[in-house]
Amino acid sequence: MAAPLLAKGKDPAQEITSQLICPCSCGEVVSGCICETGMSMKATVENGIKAGKSKKEIIGALVSQYGEVIRGAPKPEGFNLIVWIAPFAATLLGFAIAWLFLRRLVRRRGERVTAAAHGEATPGEPVPFPRGRALEQDQDSLRARAEAELRQLKQGREA
Amino acid sequence: MSELGRLSLLLAFACSIFAVGSIAWGLRTGLSGPLRGGRRAVWTVCGLTVLAVIILERALLARDMSYRYVAEHTSKDLPLHYAFTSLWAGQEGSLLLWLLILSAYGSAFLFAYRKRLDPFYDAVAMVIACVMIFFTGLLSFVSSPFRILATPPPDGMGLNPLLQDPGMMIHPPILYTGYVGFVVPFAFAMAVLLLNRSGTRWIEEVRRWTLFCWGFLGVGVLLGARWAYIELGWGGYWGWDPVENASLMPWLVGTAFLHSVMIEQRRGMLKTWNITLIALTFLLSMFGTFLTRSGVLTSVHSFAESNIGPWFLGFILITATAATALILYRKALLESENRMEAVVSREGSFLFNNVLFVALTFATFLGTTFPVLSEAVTGTKISVSAPFFNRVNVPIALTLLLLTGAGPVLSWKRATASVLKRNFILPTFLGVVAVLVALPFGAAGIYTLVCIFGAAFVITTIVMEFARGIQARKSVETGPLPGQVVSLVQKNKRRYGGYIVHAGMVVLFLGVLGSSVFQKEAHGPLRNGETLKLGPYALTLRGVTDHQKQNASLTTAIVDVQRDGKFVATEHPSKAFYSKSQQPMTEVALHTTPMEDLYLILGGVNEDGSASIQAYINPLVSFVWVGGLIMVLGTLIAISDKMRLRREEKVAS
Repeated sequence: MAAPLLAKGKDPAQEITSQLICPCSCGEVVSGCICETGMSMKATVENGIKAGKSKKEIIGALVSQYGEVIRGAPKPEGFNLIVWIAPFAATLLGFAIAWLFLRRLVRRRGERVTAAAHGEATPGEPVPFPRGRALEQDQDSLRARAEAELRQLKQGREA
Repeated sequence: MSELGRLSLLLAFACSIFAVGSIAWGLRTGLSGPLRGGRRAVWTVCGLTVLAVIILERALLARDMSYRYVAEHTSKDLPLHYAFTSLWAGQEGSLLLWLLILSAYGSAFLFAYRKRLDPFYDAVAMVIACVMIFFTGLLSFVSSPFRILATPPPDGMGLNPLLQDPGMMIHPPILYTGYVGFVVPFAFAMAVLLLNRSGTRWIEEVRRWTLFCWGFLGVGVLLGARWAYIELGWGGYWGWDPVENASLMPWLVGTAFLHSVMIEQRRGMLKTWNITLIALTFLLSMFGTFLTRSGVLTSVHSFAESNIGPWFLGFILITATAATALILYRKALLESENRMEAVVSREGSFLFNNVLFVALTFATFLGTTFPVLSEAVTGTKISVSAPFFNRVNVPIALTLLLLTGAGPVLSWKRATASVLKRNFILPTFLGVVAVLVALPFGAAGIYTLVCIFGAAFVITTIVMEFARGIQARKSVETGPLPGQVVSLVQKNKRRYGGYIVHAGMVVLFLGVLGSSVFQKEAHGPLRNGETLKLGPYALTLRGVTDHQKQNASLTTAIVDVQRDGKFVATEHPSKAFYSKSQQPMTEVALHTTPMEDLYLILGGVNEDGSASIQAYINPLVSFVWVGGLIMVLGTLIAISDKMRLRREEKVAS
């Protein structure tokens, strides 16, 4: 699934071995593994490709030999579906909550902004900002103007 | 001597308890005596910890094999500098380093606020002392580095060869400086809740502390990646190993916190969320230490199986419960002061940014712990490794990249259609151009294209922001352009420092893209004089030699490297056999150029005399490190900005 999304032109053997984990203690991705088990798995994959086997067949054969543990990502079925679905479900849920939260906070037209619940942190009416202009740009130009005026003042005093 | 070490830790434990009790009493009664006493106890813990470290270091340097820790982690032929750094090679020593850095933060905090009489700062010190109780207790009663062997062995077991690397000398202290540092903003947040303080002042006060440890954590993560790249020898720098994930998670949540506090500062909103984020960051730091040191998950980094796991889990659970309870108890304090004006605004983009950072953390957390969970439920051992994380985290990270471009050009409160048009047309256009330019070079696949588009988009928005700032300051700055840029950055270090961090992140993304998607690999047995072809490179074996190092023997392949038919270098990939270790170690040969690395590994020498050579071309890897350096630069600029308080808060203080 990811391989076609990510790349083209990776050699087919590397595409398979980069999905597998070496079952010996090294625990590395097979494509980058140089231990004996890893090298023999690489050879199995290369021979399988030469023999015209499909990616699925090659991986299936290796899994039946070494166990599910060699899949770098668990097969999306049964209990393991959780690990595939939960991250995206959580992201979408997060977006939904953020959206609803923002909507709730967005002031309805005409409604007055009230200060904090305990009523001490901000004074009542907020200072209106010029709409549609980025605040910080204004700050930059204001600050620049202030600096220029200060400089003039200083020069005036020195003169 | 070992008794003195043990005693100093025990006294540190007692002092930590005294500090918490004394400050709590002082806060309750309002007496200044107990508060002062508590502060002094925190100082004392620091002094006692330094003493314990000195005693252990002395034993390590003298290779005093009567210490179990020394016997387990050093040997007599170990070079002196590695004997020094083997303080953090094992569990007990690492915990001692944790405590050292923690107590240093405690003292630095007290020093920085020594002139403030507000009991608020004592409450912060009290929270830090609570964490000290845990670590001094652990080191005194569960995992003491001062255990003595009845019959000292003639020589030690040696230092793990993986750790015999210059990077490993500095990586753990830097990473820990990041991890542990989050205790300070966490303590501030808890003190705010404990003392029921309103206002956003604490956010301003913890800003530099947070940036400081966030920066260190980031550098630590990158140094770890660099170490994995050079030392582990599998052609990559990030394998989504549990311990790598453990260091990334607090960094991600910490990043979310650094963004969302800006909303609280400006608009007085999201208070509960911010306190939750910083508590989560601290807890994930603890979880990271737990993962590294408990050996719960099999990982190349978990050198020691140990007994401290349950203690850590217990501490994490208690802290999480206490923090949650406090947040709920002070709910009224955390009410928003303002309302939102529009969903499409800077605030909105920050909130979505937060969702994505937390989602990345959640996916990483779930993936890291899932093998344990799945084996418990289904009984089958499974792996959740790089192929999983690349599929799940890459789309989330790319969305984040796009938001990095969009966020800063949305104005606060409300972004109108005209602002959107003005700020988005050029970056979108240049993003599309970048994609079109990249296509003939073999860029394909939706993720690759999105990444290229996003990178161009973000860089354009950053350049536009700088240009606009310079334009606005035209009346005061007229010198040459570099001078104008410097002066602009100086006027608003936070904002432009932040943009520089973003730019570094983009460079890092490009490095990751290049080295993962466009990596090329070739391997094969080579006899003398035979050549292996890899892209434009031709690698010719010139021979294999053996020689001896201080505590290891090396087998080295001599490989001539030609690029496009021209000789460029002779490289020496080796295998090292350390006297104290059964496993041979790979010593990678790297030929680095700005645009790509040639990465050579000697797999071994076969019976027929041929050498197994594994070679990679890793394009744009240097972008990862350079991107990291740019991020450090941006962080330094942002951190150099002094504290800014709202006027009413200045009056109040």
